[in-house]
Formats: sequence, structure tokens, C-alpha cells
Amino acid sequence: MDTLLQILINGISTGAVYGLVALGYTLVFSVLGVINFAHGAVFTLGAYLTYLLLGGAVGANGLLAGLHLPFALPFWAALPIAGLLTALVSLGVEASAFRPLRRQQAEPLLYLITSLGAGVILVNLLQILLGAEGYSLPTTALGSLPTTLSLAGAQLRTVQLVLLLVAAVVLAVLSVWLEGSRSGKALQAVSEDPTTARLLGIDSDAMIRLGFAVSGFLAGIAGGLVSLSLSISGPYFGISYGLKALGVLVLGGLGSVPGAVLAGLIVGCAEALVPAEWSGYRDAIAYAFLFGVLLLRPQGLLGRPQISKV
Amino acid sequence: MGQASIFQAPHRSLRAASLLLSASLLASSLVACGNSARDDRAGGTGPLPIGAAIALTGNASVIGQDQRIGLELARDHFQGNGPALELTIEDGGSDEGTATNAFRSLISADVVALIGPSLSQQAFAVDPIADRAGIPVIGPSNTATGIPEIGPFVSRVSAPVAQVAPLSIAAALRLNPKIRSAAVFYAQDDAYSTSESKIFQQALIDRNLKPVAVIRTSVSDTDFQSQITETLRRNPDLIVISGLPSDGGNLVRQLRELGFKGTLVAGNGMNSPNIYSICQRFCDGLLIAQAYSPESTTPINRAFVAAYTKARGGAVPPQFSAQAFAAYQVIAETLSSLQVSLPAGATLAALPRAELRRRLNTALLKGRYQTPLGEIRFTPEGEVIQKQFYVAQVRMNPDGRSGRFQLLPTVPTP
Repeated sequence: MDTLLQILINGISTGAVYGLVALGYTLVFSVLGVINFAHGAVFTLGAYLTYLLLGGAVGANGLLAGLHLPFALPFWAALPIAGLLTALVSLGVEASAFRPLRRQQAEPLLYLITSLGAGVILVNLLQILLGAEGYSLPTTALGSLPTTLSLAGAQLRTVQLVLLLVAAVVLAVLSVWLEGSRSGKALQAVSEDPTTARLLGIDSDAMIRLGFAVSGFLAGIAGGLVSLSLSISGPYFGISYGLKALGVLVLGGLGSVPGAVLAGLIVGCAEALVPAEWSGYRDAIAYAFLFGVLLLRPQGLLGRPQISKV
Repeated sequence: MGQASIFQAPHRSLRAASLLLSASLLASSLVACGNSARDDRAGGTGPLPIGAAIALTGNASVIGQDQRIGLELARDHFQGNGPALELTIEDGGSDEGTATNAFRSLISADVVALIGPSLSQQAFAVDPIADRAGIPVIGPSNTATGIPEIGPFVSRVSAPVAQVAPLSIAAALRLNPKIRSAAVFYAQDDAYSTSESKIFQQALIDRNLKPVAVIRTSVSDTDFQSQITETLRRNPDLIVISGLPSDGGNLVRQLRELGFKGTLVAGNGMNSPNIYSICQRFCDGLLIAQAYSPESTTPINRAFVAAYTKARGGAVPPQFSAQAFAAYQVIAETLSSLQVSLPAGATLAALPRAELRRRLNTALLKGRYQTPLGEIRFTPEGEVIQKQFYVAQVRMNPDGRSGRFQLLPTVPTP
């Protein structure tokens, strides 16, 4: 029983991160109808920024070798600041890889290439500046909190619970903002129909920028949380999370905010329940599960069926 | 947003793309023809090109970065002794595709010999390319079973796992004779880890330590919490890990965080100070067998350690740097002895490149080399014969971010 509880918490904490990353995809998809392939790179950047804001030094292999900030913030301050900085970078991605194409009313396929290009450039910049070595947040990042906690007989890493707690708070704030604020509702209106929203006096471009900023913030927070729990295994470590979150996005239903959260939790738990001996095939099993669900429900768990007009 | 399909009516940009693709293919064919023609002619008078394809990106980049330093130090050390050499380092990535591109690019540059790739998994894919082209290739860190058997032009300076891996199990039992049960973790998608894990598992069985769990992971994994939860239920006294610094370092950290207090043994893939930043204070106590000791007092090792320490702000060289240095040294010293054997006035660069490569490979396998790894030589198949191995225990400093590999009493080669 304690083992099952432990495995479930493992799955839920992993799934919460998938959900956060997938929500970033969802916000951009809902306002633009395209996937931002630079999102995984922004996630990676969030992890590095959290590390640097905590006072971490650049390793020996980057151009900035040995560099560290003259201050070291506590984790609770570093994480939101990293999120804000990645929100700015995400706005940069929008301005460079999306806006010029939008103005020319380019094919949606082209956004895929430009955003992928922006992501590759970002990752390579990280490698040039910070090197390819792995970084970890100090194990003392959570201050005096113990390394592990015992809950109903299950031994849990404190970072998992912190990750879960932060993810839950972020998701709750996002839901309240989307449903209860003027800008959140405007964003939803643009995602429903940009033309009608414009006729109603909503600045669609501003809402698109807002979608990118929030998306970047979520990616940065998710990256910072993962770097706290695991490590930054190099500039490419966001790719697997980005791909997994793409699967989560599709499973939840393209553009569905609650769908992204639900699917994230399902995929996280499905992975955690793979027997340890077969964990090397965890991704294959997770994608097979996704494949099966989509065969039965192509619109995703909470997505709306697409109606084709002839 | 317009939804016009690119599959509708022939698109101008598609036609342009097709033309561009065709032109690229034509250009590649011409380059390929040019290269095959060049193989038969005399090389010329410039420095002899040596190529290295190592992992500067991806999961194994921490290994490749250690190797790059070793290669650059060797290049500087042997400059001026023997024929002029020009070292080109290409990023071989951490996957077979990137390594293949790097090898092909270096072969196109008409290199005399190749060093690399970083991973055994890659070596099985790319070494046959060099072998077919008749280019000597030395593996600086390929330890999986079967590497020298790839072909007559393939050799390695990295001792095979079968020789090195069991030493750390023996050391673990010397340190804690009460060990009765063991669990094994290995990256099932990596040839080296799989090969090493088989050796580890056999070594455990040979010592009546049947593994209570064999967990297959992936080199791209960083989250092992569920696997650890299941494994710790079986109460192993010893856990043996075959992986790379990134996945292995995370595994060590999470094992300790989740309460594992037994002995940890890691394989050669984690044999790098780059693990410090990943498992931090939890790296302490980790046992890893070594093919290199920075404490060796041979003149070449003292020179290597001094150069490395100067270049890296006082750091002690890791095994991967020493092995990369040795790989370059073997090529440089063999070419130097070949130069001496030529008639007065003749140069190696003037020999037809294919002939030079053949002579280099033949001489290379017959030589003895005093390297930072100690004296090494090769079997006729290209397997390295090394005299001394070690087992180190990681000792982390109080800051939890830096540490050292503390050598345990030396173990003579069986």
C-alpha cells in the first residue's frame, strides 16, 4: 500500500510538470492554432535561469566559464523570477518567429519551422555560453526542509511534494485568471474566434503576446521545478519533456486547458506504473497508451470533435 | 488563419525546394567522386590531418568534453616531435547519426587516422565505415565487448569492461564483506551499458550475489523514483549502475535521497568528475574502477597532469582525458617512427594516403607506448593490453559540489 502511494505521488508529480508544459503549448495553440516548437527550449532556459539565480556558477566548458551572479536568491524567489525572464524570452520568440509570418498570413506549417529554428538557436546558444555539462540545483536549495518525508509509511522526496505544491498553486492561479479576469476572458475570446474578438474591440495581437508570455512563464516554472527535483542534464534536456508534453496536449484535446492538466496527470501516473524492470521502455509504453486512447477518441479526452464543412 | 494546403496545385516554393535538393545531391555526388579520386594520389607536403569525432553535444557530451581537453593537450605536447600533424575535432554527438556524419566529414577531409567516437554504441555504427575506407581508428573510450573485432583497422586504448568492471565489485566486497544481495540498473538503449552490465551481473553471480532486481533504464532518463521505490522494497545491500554521467548521477542522488544506505558501484560511463555537479554530496562513497591514476609518477603522466592542471585551474585529470591523450599519442609516436624509417628526404605526406594509413595501422599494432595510462600495447586484433587498473572511491568535499576520486589500494592485472 505504501509502495502504491509512493508510486502514485511519483506519477502525479511528474504528471504535474507535463501538465504545466502542455498548458504552455495549449495557450499558444488556442490563440494561434499552431504549435510553438521553441517551447521545450524555453523550458530548458527556465531550468538554467533558476540555477544561475540560485548563485550557481557556469562550468568550465562554456564561453561564460566560471561566471556567477553577484547574489544568490532563495529558491522561492529564483523560481518566479526565472519564470518572468522566460516569459520575456517567449515574447522574443513570438516577435521573431511568429509575428512576421502572421503579418504575411503564411502557412501554419511555416510556423513549425520558424519556431523549431528559434528553439534550436536557443539551445545552441545555451550550449555555447554555458557548456554541455550537467548542472544540479544545490541539494540545500529548499533550506532547512528535510531531504525525505514519511507519509503513511511511504518514503517521499521533499522536492516531489514541493514540485506538486507549486504546480498546483500555478494551475489554480491560471484557472482563476482565465475564468475570472478580463484579460483571461479576452484571451479565451480570441481563442474562440479572433475575427469576432477583434470586432468586439479586443486587441488580438496583444492577446497573442499575452498567451506567449504566460506560456513562457509556465515553461520557465516547469523547467525550474524539474531542475530542483532532477538535474539539468545539458542544453538538450528539455526536448524529451517538450515531446512528452506535446503528446499530453494531443491527449488532453488540442486547446483544452483542463484537458492538458488531466492528460498530464494520466501520462505521469501511467509512466510511474510501468514495472521497474521495464522502465527503459517507459516512453514506448506511454506513447502506446496515448496511441490507443487517440484511436478511440481522436479529439482527445476533453477536446471538441472537429466538424468539417464541405 | 488561411488553411490552404501545400498539396494543392504545384507550389513554386516546392519546385524551388526540389531544384535545391537535386542540386545538393549532385554536388554531394561530385564531392564523393572527388574524394575517391583523391584516395589514390600522393598526399602532398602539408601537415598530416588527424580527425577526432567525439561527443560534444547530447547525453555523452560530458565525456566528450573531457576527451577534447585530452586531445588538445596531446596535440600541444607532441607538436614539433616527428611529422607535423593537424588535429581536427568534430562533434560526433551522442547518437549514431551524428557520429556517422562526423566520421564521413573527416574521411572527406582525407585524414590519416581517426580517434573516436565517444560511445561504444556509436562505434558499432561508425567504425565499419572507417574500416572499409582503410583508415585506422582508435577508440578512446569504447569499452564494450566486440569493438576491436569490428575490423582490422579498429583498435582501442580503453580497456574492455570485462577486464575493468569486476574490480569494483571485488573492492565493494573488500570494503563490506557483509554484502549478501545486489540490484543492477543499466541503460538498456546503450551498447556499452548493456555490455558492462552483463559483466557486472556475471561478476555478482561468480561471488554468489544473485541480483534481486535487474532494472532496465534509458540513457535519456533522469527520473528514477518509481524504479527505486520498487527496488528498495527488495532490500539490496549493493546497487551496481551502468550508465552515463547524466542518468547515472541522477540515479545515485535519488537512491540516496530515497534512503538507500548500502554500497554503490558505478561503471566506466560515470567515471568523470562531471558527476559531481549532478549527484553532489550524494556521490560520496561511490566506487568506480579506473584505467587511469593521476597519481602515477611516470614522466609522461607527470607532464600530462601538469599540463591539465595548468589548463583547468588546478583540477586533476579524469580518465577520459588521459585515454584521449593516449589515443593521440599512439598515432603521433607511430607516425614519428614511420617518418624515421623513411629514406632521407622522403616524407610521410608524400606517400599515397591509402599506403600511409596501411603502414600506420600495421606499425601501430606492433608498438609499445609509455602513456599516462602506463605502458600499453595491442593484440594483433587491436585490443589494448594495459598493465595496471585501479578502483577509486568518490570523496566529496564539504561544499557538496567538488570532490576527488580517491584511489583504493592498487589491484594488479589478472
